[in-house]
Amino acid sequence: MKIDDVVCPFCGCLCDDLVVEVEGTRVVSVENGCTLANEKFMGDHRLKTPIHREGKGWKETTYDEAIRETAEILCDADRPLLYGWSGTHGEAQSIGIHLAEILGALVDNTSTVCHGPSILAIQEVGHPGCTLGQVKNRADVVIYWGTNPIDAHPRHMSRYTTFADGFFLKEAFRDRKLIVVDVRKSESANIADEFVRIQPGGDYAVLSALRAIVQGKRGIIPPSVAGVSREQLFRVADLLLSAKFGAIFFGLGLTMSRGKSKNIRNAIELTEELNRHTKFIISPMRGHWNVYGSNEVFTWITGYPYAVDFARGIAFYNPGETTSVDVLSRKECDACLVVASDPGAHFPKACAEHLARIPTVQIDPHVNATTHLSRIQIPVAVTGIDAEGTAYRMDGVPIRTRMLFRGTYPSDTAVLEQLYAIVKEIKGP
Amino acid sequence: MSEFLIRNAYVIDPLSGIKGEIMDIAIRNGRIAEEVGSNAEVIDADHCLTLPGGIDSHSHVCGTKVNFGRYMSPEDMRAGRTARKGVMHVTSGYSVPTTFGNSYRYSVMGYTTVLEGAMAPLEARHTHEEFTATPHQDMLANTLFDGNWSIMEAVREKDMKRAAAVVAWTLSAVKGFAIKLTNPGGTEAWGWGEDVHSIQDQVPHFGVTPAEIIQTMIRANELLNLPHSVHLHCNALGVPGNYRTTLDTIDLVPDLNDKRQSLYLTHLQFHSYGGSTWKDISSKSEDIARAVNNKPAVAIDMGQIMFGRTTTMTADGPMEFKLYMLHHNKWSNHDVELETGSGIIPVYYSRKSLVNCVMWAIGIELALLVKDPWRCMLSTDNPNGAPFVKYPEIIALLMSRRFRENEIALLDPRTAHYVPLPAIDRELDWYDIAVMTRAGQAKALGITGIGKGYLAPGAEADIAIYPLKPESLDPSAEYQQVMAGFGKTRYTIKRGRVVARDGDVVVEGANSTIWTRSTVPPGYDLSVDPEFMKKFEQYYTVRMSNYPVQDVYLPRGICIPTEASL
Amino acid sequence: MKFLLNTGRTIRQGSYVERKNSVAYQEEATSLCMNPVDMMNLELEEGSQVRVESDQESVIMKVHPALWITQGEVFVCLGPYANHLVKPETHGSGMPDFKGTMVTITPTSEPLVTVADLMERCGGVRYED
Repeated sequence: MKIDDVVCPFCGCLCDDLVVEVEGTRVVSVENGCTLANEKFMGDHRLKTPIHREGKGWKETTYDEAIRETAEILCDADRPLLYGWSGTHGEAQSIGIHLAEILGALVDNTSTVCHGPSILAIQEVGHPGCTLGQVKNRADVVIYWGTNPIDAHPRHMSRYTTFADGFFLKEAFRDRKLIVVDVRKSESANIADEFVRIQPGGDYAVLSALRAIVQGKRGIIPPSVAGVSREQLFRVADLLLSAKFGAIFFGLGLTMSRGKSKNIRNAIELTEELNRHTKFIISPMRGHWNVYGSNEVFTWITGYPYAVDFARGIAFYNPGETTSVDVLSRKECDACLVVASDPGAHFPKACAEHLARIPTVQIDPHVNATTHLSRIQIPVAVTGIDAEGTAYRMDGVPIRTRMLFRGTYPSDTAVLEQLYAIVKEIKGP
Repeated sequence: MSEFLIRNAYVIDPLSGIKGEIMDIAIRNGRIAEEVGSNAEVIDADHCLTLPGGIDSHSHVCGTKVNFGRYMSPEDMRAGRTARKGVMHVTSGYSVPTTFGNSYRYSVMGYTTVLEGAMAPLEARHTHEEFTATPHQDMLANTLFDGNWSIMEAVREKDMKRAAAVVAWTLSAVKGFAIKLTNPGGTEAWGWGEDVHSIQDQVPHFGVTPAEIIQTMIRANELLNLPHSVHLHCNALGVPGNYRTTLDTIDLVPDLNDKRQSLYLTHLQFHSYGGSTWKDISSKSEDIARAVNNKPAVAIDMGQIMFGRTTTMTADGPMEFKLYMLHHNKWSNHDVELETGSGIIPVYYSRKSLVNCVMWAIGIELALLVKDPWRCMLSTDNPNGAPFVKYPEIIALLMSRRFRENEIALLDPRTAHYVPLPAIDRELDWYDIAVMTRAGQAKALGITGIGKGYLAPGAEADIAIYPLKPESLDPSAEYQQVMAGFGKTRYTIKRGRVVARDGDVVVEGANSTIWTRSTVPPGYDLSVDPEFMKKFEQYYTVRMSNYPVQDVYLPRGICIPTEASL
Repeated sequence: MKFLLNTGRTIRQGSYVERKNSVAYQEEATSLCMNPVDMMNLELEEGSQVRVESDQESVIMKVHPALWITQGEVFVCLGPYANHLVKPETHGSGMPDFKGTMVTITPTSEPLVTVADLMERCGGVRYED
């Protein structure tokens, strides 16, 4: 059976034009998808049953047993952390947050190690953005700053920017200027009209220089800024100012390098400055297919996009204190539920060590690095393949992922609902 | 079968012609009944003011831009925090509370139905997700068409029926309730950083004017026989001298419907400015109110501002950028492909600002100068003018001249020179307030047919009982009590169930979403129209099959079906 | 020799991300890209093993020449090998310095370790399906 207009649950592009052929409970072919999509749909490496640790080994267990054990771990803890959420659908995220609410837990999503700093910057200065179709139909100048879409978001250029013809740009590849800013000459940089190579940690200075030029202060620019020549800075600024509609996409090259949130703030303020002359937008390149959804769901329930602490009864938010890496490295939490992410692989070692020290439970379809650190793992259906639910694209557009076949695994929602019910019973009204 | 009997209620039910009578109200299975059995649970209202549940016909509480208002404003979230308590979830936020915060605070004030003022069709699924998490009010979504390419093309071709077909397909696809135009044409122009400045300006690239869009949509709306009229946020919001644009707009309106207005003009305070700069801005409420009084085909809501801090959020992207250029605080913008835009900035309305004082006066003036309360709804364009928790204070201002005088004494002393308010004596009565906060809304929205806004047998049992005794209370003098009373019901009853009592929410809640579906003849069915499908193929970034909001997002949807006259 | 460690996504890392215990993932996540001039100075061939050491952890990786990277910098895709070299310090931002860690690189003949080995070093218990 061939299914049209399938939504890809891999990256923040959330492409919704895949054609997937299914035989029984197996995907046999994928059309229109990138390499990542093909691997995602064709991948067949699921954990078969729930497992839990017994001494120095692992044993299979049942869903009921594993969920009951998880509930007890969470209820016994004084300071549980519920982490992850970006690889599942919004309905499951919502239950997770309410679970944290009754547990008085910390709840955090993977933004904490991707665009958390972008959120902090947006909370200082706002965010002039748009949906990706605005860029596709209008943008004549596109910048990728500290991001390499060819590897991380393989269809971003073909669906939304460089290669995407739009209403006002009939021949996008010819009519649209591409600027890539990075510390290394990435694949994406190879096809840019202008590649700006910055010394590591120099983004803030280069953004400041561009802001000064846009403000008409060319005279104060030194011959070179963080490895970028004045001539190139002028050339880039002229390109920006000549745009009818410009779009800046930025990635972890800004959020993770020196300056972090202040880099983003500077980039947003450059965008704001450019809006005094022409139309400009800026947008983070969100990684997980539903990381933006986790920010949305967190926000409408708690008021904050990530790093929420319910220990005081109210929702308390203080990134740097209530963020997962900080909480784990301070050895503060005494139990952890990981849902739909892999902190063992993506956090610093000290955090992984603490996850191994405390009872950690993972709800995830696959064996990953965190599996080895956990006490229990509960395999679930993969949203977009054998489970469905809401996802938010990197630009905020909500799309419902599809269930392509009914498999034997329960969804995240089903497992979390059962967990929530037991915890609620233990905790009382 | 659940039965309730409310005894000794001081009832004002304008739609049923009840203007203040002590009576009993029987409730059976969520509806008002003629009578109930002797085993019915009894609530003694003890002569307290008893009204149909409050209806907000223009508020921003759910969806992409509202949530972004929260996302970007941890300082606002910190300004209103409550812990989990009983069935109540944690809440955060003052001007843009979390969904549960909105729902509980509205419920405690006796509001049982709320219309979200602006839903971008492409992002409708988000609005519906938040509706589900706003459990104590039935929700409706105004759907944005101001910059809709298919609409503007139909307007250019002078094809009103095609415009109607676009509306019919879209409302049905996104489970929307009514047509919203926010700065028509302006949001498309903002795609290039531009705006339209009058209703006769051309929209770049589309060759149409706001006036043509408005006129076409008013008629298309009636072709579809939709319950509500077109809901318009006029062009040139917040610009000194914009009252002329507003008067020009009112001039356009034909009288096409004998049950309700043909055009709903929202937050009119923001559109009633004289002068030419921020230095000489003045109130033109008298001119505007005169035009409204002379034009039975329009209804308005106030868009009152109240002093203090709040967050402004609107689909009117260019206006928000202009406002940002004044405030320089922080600015978010979110244009939506082929459809509309939006912007958000936090603001502080200050008594020290002459402009803000003039704005404050204008809203009150409109409510006092528009003679017919059925055509003037109480609103703050929540949260743009003020968070809705300020409604009780606005009610008190409208009911008490003394309160107004006390407040005027605190304003910038130059204010009196620019506004007529100090000379207006009118004090609204309980009946006027009942009309302006529920009955008028039900009529204007066209939802009396599904049992909203009144208390006669058959109506939905949405009821608010306030700790106010109109028989012995003089609102003109005892305005503090009026304010306190409207802030916290003794009972809020939703669909026959007590949902809030004395300031606490007592059940989890399960609301409905009200939407409209117009049946069109096959020739106007755009789901098979090649031109329309091409928009999705070539210009949208979402496939047409993934665009409609699935039924699963409306667990208790109420569809109002209509037959289009095409 | 001291290098600045940069991390980021690669298409292969993304492809194997749901098979973290596979050889393919291990190969990608331990691939260290280095400017050929630096390789020459360290007398490294393509595929040579190196010890990459920070104040947090020390892991074995394989070197690959990359002209797109500047001398003095190295690039490894995100994953446990690279990320465990990074300090958990976030300077109050919530975000560690994933793109700004100094590492010392020396040639070695020691073998690569698996993800499970790495997690056992953190105190975990390997699961093998």
